Formats: sequence, C-alpha cells, structure tokens
Amino acid sequence: MSKVPVRLLFFAIVLSLVMVLAACNENSTESDVDKPETDVEKEETEEAEQTDEPEEAGGETEELYSIDDFSNIKGEDETPLEGGELTFGLVSDTAFEGILNYNFYDGNPDVQVLQWFDEGLLTWDENYVYTNDGAATYTMSDDNKTATITIRDNVNWHDGEPVKAEDLLFAHEVIAHPDYDGIRFDASLRNVEGIEAYHNGEADTISGIEVVDEKTIKITYKEATPSLITGGIWTYPLAKHIFGDMNVADISSSPEVRQQPIGFGPYKVESIVPGESVVYSKNEDYWRGEPKLDKVTLKVINPNVVVEALKNGEVDIVDSFPVDQFPDNADLSNLSWLGVTDRAYTYIGFKLGKWDADNGINVYDPDAKMANVNLRKAMAHAVDNNTVGERFYHGLRWAGTTLIPPSHPEFHDSENEGLPYDPELAKQLLDEAGYVDVNGDNFREDPDGNELVINFASMSGGEIAEPLVKYYIQAWEQVGLHVEMLEGRLHEFNSFYDRVEADDPEIDIYQAAWSVGIDVDPDGLWGEQAAFNMTRWTNEENTRLIKEGLSEAAFDLETRVETYKEWQQLMVEEVPAFPTLYRAVLVPVNNRVQNYAIGDGTGIYRYQVGVSAEEPEVAE
Amino acid sequence: MWTFTFRRVLIMIPQILLLSIVIFFLAKMMPGDALTGLIDPNIGPEAIEAQREKLGLNDPWHVQYWNWITNLFQGDLGQSFQHKLPVTEIINQRLWNTFWLSVLTLILTYLIAIPLGLISGRYNDTISDRIITGYTYIGFAAPVFIFALLMLFIFGFQLGWFPTGGSVTPGTVPGTWSFFLSKVYHMLLPALSMALITTVSTVQYLRSEIIDTKQKDFVLLARSKGVSETRIYRKHIFRNSLLPIAAFFGYEISGLIGGSIFIENIFSYPGIGQLFLSSLMQRDTSVVTALVLLFGIASILGTLISDLILSIVDPRIRMK
Repeated sequence: MSKVPVRLLFFAIVLSLVMVLAACNENSTESDVDKPETDVEKEETEEAEQTDEPEEAGGETEELYSIDDFSNIKGEDETPLEGGELTFGLVSDTAFEGILNYNFYDGNPDVQVLQWFDEGLLTWDENYVYTNDGAATYTMSDDNKTATITIRDNVNWHDGEPVKAEDLLFAHEVIAHPDYDGIRFDASLRNVEGIEAYHNGEADTISGIEVVDEKTIKITYKEATPSLITGGIWTYPLAKHIFGDMNVADISSSPEVRQQPIGFGPYKVESIVPGESVVYSKNEDYWRGEPKLDKVTLKVINPNVVVEALKNGEVDIVDSFPVDQFPDNADLSNLSWLGVTDRAYTYIGFKLGKWDADNGINVYDPDAKMANVNLRKAMAHAVDNNTVGERFYHGLRWAGTTLIPPSHPEFHDSENEGLPYDPELAKQLLDEAGYVDVNGDNFREDPDGNELVINFASMSGGEIAEPLVKYYIQAWEQVGLHVEMLEGRLHEFNSFYDRVEADDPEIDIYQAAWSVGIDVDPDGLWGEQAAFNMTRWTNEENTRLIKEGLSEAAFDLETRVETYKEWQQLMVEEVPAFPTLYRAVLVPVNNRVQNYAIGDGTGIYRYQVGVSAEEPEVAE
Repeated sequence: MWTFTFRRVLIMIPQILLLSIVIFFLAKMMPGDALTGLIDPNIGPEAIEAQREKLGLNDPWHVQYWNWITNLFQGDLGQSFQHKLPVTEIINQRLWNTFWLSVLTLILTYLIAIPLGLISGRYNDTISDRIITGYTYIGFAAPVFIFALLMLFIFGFQLGWFPTGGSVTPGTVPGTWSFFLSKVYHMLLPALSMALITTVSTVQYLRSEIIDTKQKDFVLLARSKGVSETRIYRKHIFRNSLLPIAAFFGYEISGLIGGSIFIENIFSYPGIGQLFLSSLMQRDTSVVTALVLLFGIASILGTLISDLILSIVDPRIRMK
C-alpha cells in the first residue's frame, strides 16, 4: 500500500526535472523568436511611437548598434611580443573540405585556411582596384588590353624555389585544361586571348600569354574593360616545379594540395588534421618580411559553441560571427569587435518574365502579374526596412536603397534614397494604377477587378526568417495587398533556388540575397544575358547602361561612376527588385591580438598580426 | 545452424539491392544538386552548366543509376563534388573516427548498463533501484542532442575538463603515444554523452530480465537446495538475463549510427555522421548515397548479428 505514493512522488520528481530541463531549453530559443513577432504586431497599432523608442522586452533594454561605430582595423594598442602563438577559429558546422590551392578551391571554409599560407600576386585597395603593393607589380598597356605583371625578386615558394612567371602561365593552362575539375574557368578567364582555343584543344599554347622573362609575364585580353583591374586578372600562380608533371585531373586530390599544400604566404603549413585543424609555422623567407607570430593554429569551431570558445580564450579570432548573438556578447571584457559593411544585400525580386535557355537571354513579359510598375513601387514603399533592421537585427542591418551596396563606396549612390517607407504613397500609387478594393474584402483587386493574391517565396533558415516574412505580409496588408507565403511555408534553400531559377509560375515575388563580387559590374546579376537575373526583367536602357559601365569610356572613373548612378536610378524607377537590407559583418578579436583587420584595402597584412601576451585574455 | 546462417545471409542480398535503388532515387529526388545555390556571380552560368554536363547530372536517371551501380560493384563509389576526392577516400578518412567513437560508446554503454541493471534488478523497489530507474526515465525523456549540448557546456566549457571540438589536438604527430592519448581524450566526452543516454534502455531491459528470472522455478529450486545468494545471482540469474542483452547488441550498433549524426555535429567531431549532414546540405549526392548505403548495410548487418546471436541462444526461433 505504501508503495503507490512513493512511486507517484518519484514520478512527479522525475517529471518536474524533465520539465525544468525542457523549460531551460525553450527559454533560450523561443525568446528570440517571440520578441520580433510581438514587435511586428505592435507596428499595426502604435505606428507613431515605435520608431524612436527603444524596445523594452522582459525588463531588458535592447540596444541599437550602428556599423559606423565600428572600426575594421585593430591596430597596435600594446606592443606585440616577438613570436607568440595564435588560434584562429573557423566557424563552420561542417569540416573544411581541404582543397588547399587557390586554383582549385571553391568554398569559403577552404579560403580561410588558404589565406594564412598563400596569396595572390596582386593586392587591391579599398575600391578593389589592383595596387602595386603586392608580390607583383603590374602595368596596363595603352589600349588597356594587355597587363604586364612583374613578380618581385624575393617572392619564393615555401620550398625556396622562386615564384616565376611560368607558374602564372601554368595556372592559366591548368584551369583552361579540359580535365580541370574546379570552377574557376569563368567569364573573366575566358576573356584571355586564345584561351578558348586552348581549352577546346585547337591550340597547344594560350596565344594571349607571353612569358617575357623569369619574373615577367604579359597577358592579353580579348576585351578591355574597367573590370580587368578590379578582379579581372587571375593572379594565383601554380607551382609548376611541383604540379608540372601531374595529370591535371589528379592535381586537386594530390597530397601537395591536401596534406602538404604549398604557397608563398606568410605562414607555412606544418600539419593538417583533415577537415578539423591546421598548424602553421612562420615563413621566415616571406617577401614582405618576417612574420610576427611563431605559430598559428586554425581549428573548426561549431557555431553553437563559438561564444564560449571566445570567452575562455580558446580561440583568439574567428572568421565570422553570427550577428544575432552580438547584442548579448557586446560587453565581453576580453574581446574587441571589428565591423565592416558586408559586400552583400538582401532583396525582394518580382518575377517578370522567362529565361530563354536556347538563346541564353532573359525575356521580359509585359503581361506578367507583377508587370505594373506602380504595384511594384507600392510594395517597396509599404515596408519599413529600417525598423526591420532595428527590431530584428539591432541596427546591424539597415534599409537598402540601391542595388549597388555601400560596400562599394565609390559607386554606391548615397544620395539616391531608393524607395523609402511611405505607406500613404504606396496606397496612392495603387489607387492611381487602378488597384482598388471592389468587393469589400479589404484587399485590393487588380485593375480588371479580379482578385489579386501575390505568392511570396522565401527561404527557411534561422529564427528570424519566418517572423520577417510575416512582417512583410502584414505591411503589405496595411496598404491593401493580399500577399501569401508560397504554399503557406518557407522553403528550403535548394528547393527555393531550384524553383526561382526555373521560373516556377507559382512564384510572384521572392526574397533572396546576393553577395557581390569585388567588381561592381552588375551584368552577372541583372544583365540581359544573366541566368542569375531571376526577375527576368530587362530593357534596352538596362542593357545600354551595363554595357557603358564596361566600355572604353568607363576607364574614366567619373564616367563610370556616373553611368552606375544612372543605372541605380533606373533600377529604382523600374523596380524589378528592391534591396531590403544592407548588412554589417562583425568579428570579435581577443584583446591581445594586434594588427588585425577585416575588409579590403586596409593596408594591414597577415604577417603583421601579433599578440601582446603569451596567453589569451579570458572573459571576467 | 549453418543452413540458417546461410539463408539469413542470402536474404540480405535482395535487401541491399532494394536499399540501393531506394537510396539512389530518394537522393535524386532531393531538390537541387551540388551546383544549386552556387551563385557566386563571378562564376558564370556557362561554367556551372559545363560542370553539370561533366558530372553527368543531365543524363537520364536510368543511365545515372546504371553507372552508379556498376561502379559500385567495382568498389568505386564515385567522386565527391565538394571534396574533389574519391568517395571511398573521404569516407575512409572519417570512418575510423566514427568507428572508434562507436566502440568507446559501446564499451561505456555496457560498463554503465551492467552494474546498474544488476543492482536495480537484484534490489528492486529499494531506494537505489528507484534512483537508477529514475535516471533511466530521465534518460528516456532527454533527447541526446540537448543532453550532449549540456554536457559540452558543463564539462567542456564551464569546468574545462575536456576538449570542446575536433578529434585530436592540432599538431600532434600521428603514430605517437600522445597522439593516441589525445584521440581518446577527445572521444571521451562525446562517447560518454551518448552512452549515458543510450544505456538506459539496456539498464531497463536487464533489470526486468533479472526480476523475471529470479522468480523462475529453477532459481527457487536452487534456493531451496541452499545455494548461496551470490552464487545464485552470478551463476543462474545473471547468465540467463544477459543472453537477451547480448542479442540486443546488433540493434545497438544501428542505433549508434543515428546518434553519431547528432553527437558528431555538436562536438565538431569529424566522423561520418558530420560528413553525412554536410553532404546532405550541399547536395553532394555521391557521398550521401554512399553513406546511406553504408548505414543501411550496417543496420542490416546489425540485425544479422542479433538474429545469429538469438538463434544460438534460443534455437526455437531459427528459421525453417
């Protein structure tokens, strides 16, 4: 008889324990999701107050941050030690692939490993134009078609062999070889004269490349465009004395790429545990001078534990940091934060045509559901992206204006306001275009009086994805547009792009993001022949401006800036897509690290990185 | 006995063949391929299309299946697109990590399960039994991925007793004693996290077996003959209760595979569980199919082992 109560009691204890565990777990994840959602709801009722008042949530004041308050350089606040060791965290939930050669790698994890021990021959400045500060210098011919690259005398591979002009020629030959299994044989390499003939087996050599002497090489391009000097030259030599005798198909899996990779960067690879860590030692023969650190250890850190690993000093630097975790960790005593504007933007695109695969062009369909420019403009005016940035991203993302992001300061038109938040204007535009509510359901019908339901496709991933989409849908509802999530849910990355690229007729609008190359030319994303122009919108003006941006005349910087200004304005007027958010990259650095920078053209190089203490600082 | 084994193995062949077909088609039905979402605007669509052509992704499905299955029989699982390595090589790199992790987990599982099960069964309905069954209830309720995160947080970060990622300290030289120690050290926390959870079913199983057995007639007989209690437990009850546990062993192996996917991802432990998940996300189809096939074969082998052990233990269930 006495057994029953004891059992029950015990059961109750177990049960409560389980509940406590479960509750702990929910707290950490759910609060993040919930907050933005309630914010969004607030927007319906308290529009007047909500913009300038910092949000109170659970007694905590949420702070807003601005990228302007961050520097992208951590200089020398203390004198670095001679020598020392540093741990670099590669934040990834997968192991790195380990294709450790610039001529073969294709993903971000590997490039983080590469950066420590290899580099390109040319460096670039903050406007992404090649400079003469790198391992080689270059000059362009008068017709801007031929680049003469001269490698510095003291630039040597890690095994002591000099880096030669023929190594760069060899890199071109390997990439253009039919057996090459990487993805670098792209439009800019195809621009080298004679390389297509070589690729097709019609020529034994690449006619456009001439090795002048051991350290000098001349590369002639088919077309002279300003893009040539902003990333259009392939500058990564491939050590011919090592790879020269191999079959091209075997190089990427060879031990010289996998286990004992070679470069001419500031550090040498000492040992690799495939997929998880790399130990580097200093390359005393580095051409810029002897590196500060004796040893660098790179290891893969799971995003789940990156904060803990930074707190206890297990890693000094990480390659990336989830921005949504920044506000909780902004005050960690052992870290400094570097920030830079990301070369990326999020955008909402309108499906406006079809991809004609036979001719390789985008065909605009003037009868498409979203073809009314007022409708598109109204949708852009209806959403308040600055508030989205503040509420969802603590100000670390902010409203986008044009399709050239501010990460390209030279070309981004900061005076162009884009299509700012203005719901009244949105309503007015819709009224003008004949989108009015005829059947009294509070949603507007199209000008012919048919019901208008717009299908919105968006990707899953992260906690913010769904509330964000819901916010947009509510904002459009405010101006009387009936927008629904495609099939009522978010879509997984792969299937999302599959369907958007294939012009699925179910999709009317979609939200996606681009990270943009260092060259500003928008042709690859928005051009007539760009398969990635998934809106399928184009017109003559667009084609003309994009062409002009690459023309002879555009070698004059001012002309090019002017052309791209016009193009940005055209995209604002025609709205085939509108940028929703620009974003910041934040990277934490342990206080003991000296001379480290993120972003481009900072003038700080990896060999200068040092540490001011033997042990990393630990958070208090 | 031998005919049974032979038959049992023979049945595996159509099983594996069917498995291969299902796996292949499921993999092909996943939206996207290795090149989807490769949207670096610097890489032109022509380059991507050329790659698709080269990889045979544009061939009709029966051609792709035939190529795959014929190569399979020659031991060639294809080329990983992401890793630019033969699939066999990349799996070989990772398999051993997972293998040793599983071995350690199994050892720990039984090290925990047997004493706990014995105590709990022998002294059932005492306070120690309640504590042990209490633990097993928590174990049943707690999902392994949350429990593992908790373990990592407490023992890895708060107390700093264990490394928090990787399979070996960077820079240790393979083949040395310190390399071996470092490997075991890195494996300990993930293995323990998994063992503490997976062991609970074995504890429960063993407990009820013992409670069952100790009321059997032959135990009563032994007792009435005056055999000492220790001897009864050691000779009669324990042995009899352990046999079903041994039969459970094969299923335990297939269970470990599922667990390894969580554990390896949480502990950044580069084994095939982690490889599987990342290949799946990146649509590295050749690796995914190879791994699912491997998992499938491991499960089939696991049940085979279980069946064989069971048939030794209990001849009644041998297949006619």
